[in-house]
Amino acid sequence: MKKTLGTFNIQGYGNAATLGVRCWMLVVGCVGLCYFPFATFAAADELQPVADSQPILQDLQHKMSSLGSVYFELTQERHLKLFTDPLKSEGVMLIERPDRIRWETTAPYQSILLGDKKSVAQFEFVDGKWAKLKLGFPQMLQRVMDQMSLMNQGKLDALTADYAISVATNRSVAVVTLVPKDENVRGTLSSLEVKLQPDFSATREVVMHEPNGDFTRIIFNREKREVKFPPGTFDQAKPLVIGTVRASVNDAP
Amino acid sequence: MRHNLFIVLFAFLTAGCAVPEAGTSYNPPALPHPGRLFPAEARITQRAVLTVHGRQFTLNGYVAKSEARGLRLIVTENFGGVLADVLVKPGGKVLVLKTGPPFRPAWVEKFIAADLKAIFDDHAKTDGSLRMLSDTHFVIERSGYELDLRTVEVNPGPQPAELFETDRAGNL
Repeated sequence: MKKTLGTFNIQGYGNAATLGVRCWMLVVGCVGLCYFPFATFAAADELQPVADSQPILQDLQHKMSSLGSVYFELTQERHLKLFTDPLKSEGVMLIERPDRIRWETTAPYQSILLGDKKSVAQFEFVDGKWAKLKLGFPQMLQRVMDQMSLMNQGKLDALTADYAISVATNRSVAVVTLVPKDENVRGTLSSLEVKLQPDFSATREVVMHEPNGDFTRIIFNREKREVKFPPGTFDQAKPLVIGTVRASVNDAP
Repeated sequence: MRHNLFIVLFAFLTAGCAVPEAGTSYNPPALPHPGRLFPAEARITQRAVLTVHGRQFTLNGYVAKSEARGLRLIVTENFGGVLADVLVKPGGKVLVLKTGPPFRPAWVEKFIAADLKAIFDDHAKTDGSLRMLSDTHFVIERSGYELDLRTVEVNPGPQPAELFETDRAGNL
């Protein structure tokens, strides 16, 4: 049911967020691209396009399906032409098969988004304690979480159906570029670049380019795979604090 | 709203307890405007929870503040998408430069610009909708919505002039 407050269209919030969320969904999907190494090296330092990226993607789809969990620490930089300095935030992203995701911003504010195939939850840290929000569009976030989960299981059909994907490499970096096929989506997102180690063994950064020249860079400072997260990490009623999760990750072999 | 009424009631009651002496004038001390909490020139980051019809939405606000040039606010959703971009000139004139669903230009002009001025414009008239819970925590309550705002970062320093220029500011 469509509800309006004066000229404020609540339903529209879900529609608007979808575009931004779609970018993040791609990020979550694309960090999966680093899971397994490839023997694809270019001879020179200049980026050399890989003639046919389809075999790479198929190989990924096959191999990603066996990954159990992954932990990322990241820095997000929002570069707006209007501001001289980027708008920075820091956070973590945790993924556990088959469908659990935790995305947490740790600075300059604290916020947790949790999701699985059944539900989503968001918490904000206010006045020294965590508060669970009455989410405006749980079904929209739920849909996104579902897609993120599918992509992390290696089901990359969603990517190849909606994006033209190309791969280029040199000795220092491998770049996977995704360009939206839909003109409307290109109005918001020109392209998305995933920069990886040249052997595809780790993600360095993801850059989302917008048509007006603004861009968002997500730098992956640390990642750890096959982590056994402590109980409560994905609890949607009372999630375990990230410090405890981090300690557990740090102690893991 | 109920809280505001309580404040008014409390003010009346306490006023009765402190009757000024005959023949003297009494001027209640002016409450500090929250705008004075911020440097004259700065970029401020705020995190907000907007509650409409019992539903909650999180937003980020980036405010460029210049005493001489005005205020510029960019509102983004969780994932970085720009939902509103508004410029308030020193005289109070509001220019809505960009909006995205759910915000429509009229809504941005009427409410978001008013909320921006309520917190950052020293000269703005107060309409009773703002509560200051601390130097970094504000609540704005208007008919139909509540905005819970926390200042999370203040970067003092002059902001680029083009942020406040009408003919160039819309290029977001």
